[in-house]
Amino acid sequence: MEWLDNFFEKKTRSIAQNSSRRGALARIAKYFVGAAFVLPVLPFDRSSANAATNSKDFDPLDDQRCEYWRYCALDGHLCTCCGGSITTCPPGSSASTVSWIGTCENPEDGKHYIVSYYDCCGVSSCGRCYCNENIGEKPAYRMGLHNDINWCMGNESEVYHCTVSIVLGTASDKA
Amino acid sequence: MSNNKLLHVIGLCFFLNFSNAIADIAPETISIEKLEPAHPHRIYLTDLALGHVIDGRIHILNGDNFKYLGLIGTGLMGLTALSSDSSEMLNATAYYSKGTRGEKTEFLEAYSTEDLTLKAEIPIPPRHAQALPYVGTIMPSADDHFVYIQNATPASSISIVDRKNERFASEVTTPGCWIILPSASNMARFSTMCGDGTFLTITHDQKGEVVKQSRSEKLFNADDDPLFVQAARIGDLFYFVSYLGIIHEINVGGETSVLKKSWPLGSVKDLEGGWRPGGYQLIAVDKTSRRLYVAMHSGGKEGSHKYPGEEIWAVDLKTKKVIQRIAGANSIAMTLTKERKPYLYLYDGVEAKINKYETIPQMKAISVSEPVGEFAGLIQTH
Repeated sequence: MEWLDNFFEKKTRSIAQNSSRRGALARIAKYFVGAAFVLPVLPFDRSSANAATNSKDFDPLDDQRCEYWRYCALDGHLCTCCGGSITTCPPGSSASTVSWIGTCENPEDGKHYIVSYYDCCGVSSCGRCYCNENIGEKPAYRMGLHNDINWCMGNESEVYHCTVSIVLGTASDKA
Repeated sequence: MSNNKLLHVIGLCFFLNFSNAIADIAPETISIEKLEPAHPHRIYLTDLALGHVIDGRIHILNGDNFKYLGLIGTGLMGLTALSSDSSEMLNATAYYSKGTRGEKTEFLEAYSTEDLTLKAEIPIPPRHAQALPYVGTIMPSADDHFVYIQNATPASSISIVDRKNERFASEVTTPGCWIILPSASNMARFSTMCGDGTFLTITHDQKGEVVKQSRSEKLFNADDDPLFVQAARIGDLFYFVSYLGIIHEINVGGETSVLKKSWPLGSVKDLEGGWRPGGYQLIAVDKTSRRLYVAMHSGGKEGSHKYPGEEIWAVDLKTKKVIQRIAGANSIAMTLTKERKPYLYLYDGVEAKINKYETIPQMKAISVSEPVGEFAGLIQTH
């Protein structure tokens, strides 16, 4: 996107870190990978988690990057940056009882997988590695495909912490 | 006396004179700043503050000089809307007794926009939707008697609160449906959008008890081309846009909602380059000029529906044509002022700045604020 290229040219990297999720600010994060920019207040900067300085220069299997294939419909903080893993919540938190779904292509085998995104809850927001990917994401009238809501909503403590990505199985059709 | 000493003496005399000339600062007392009177360019910017999510807020600014005027705390993922008469800021939210844990209580709060103080707090069922503050997740009736609040467990329901009598009235289940679209002509009616493409219309009585539910025909296709739930309205007419850029004009005034018109947003030539709508508060409409404003981005594709506005397009609702395109300031949220010649305020999701545009005779960028907000996504004007 030309506007994005222009945007990158104007910016210098910031290390200010402060994230959030599901938000407003969203998708932009994806395009800021490795880009040099200053965002004094917004939660896009993922520089603390992403060492690469060029968007072409990253490992697609790095699970601390938004480009990692399982994250294709993930909007939130990556638990891999918060003390957890792709499939585990960080210590002291609790797993959400409900989740939303994405269908993502694994570049290693070319297959599409159904991924269930669970939030980890009960601890203050992690604030690291914010991603906002929206492949197949739908408005909340299709709630199971919606990511602009707090999926800790069914927990004893509904405070959002971070998000994990659990593979449920292969998808019969491409999303 | 040496010259040096003389200079010192002269200096001392000056100092003493000067000291005596300035009166001591009088003892002071603390007081509360009086909020400047509201005007159509006062801005309310809802900020989810997800980095400290139990502590959301609304930033209040003067939209002419962008002076920061004050703040309203909104608790855990509060849903916010001005009352229809702008006298109150409504906030449906939750609090835990121990910060991030303990007993949870939920309230509809009403803050005075005259002085930002809390006027009322009404207990509500503990399931307000912990969602991004989309327009339509909380809505007042046109006469401000009732307030409707979107719930999610994640099962969907809507709370009906009697604001006038300060009591929760009832809750209606709305499975598979989302967002609140109040009728302007019937003060006791609202509709909601459902995943099967229909609209569900709910009518209640003066006590807030539901008396009728009616389902429309299928008005959109949620599989092939979903409608954004964020809409703009003129009276009973709501304007929606789909992911692929089809405008839908839907009347929610009757017992069932009716699709009046739909047409592509832009000509084939306009849309060259894959232009699509995107953002969070991505549409606004001016009832006087009958112009619709939509945030658009090029290179649209699956998953691009939250991209910020690369351009803002103005559509003439009479001719259905795009009459102007202008740089979009990375808009993720926009609103028009409530004036006959409205200004358009855009929130830049990259720079966190508020942009002010004229719209009449045509869109023109006027001014821009310093960065404000951490995770803001809803902008309203008084």
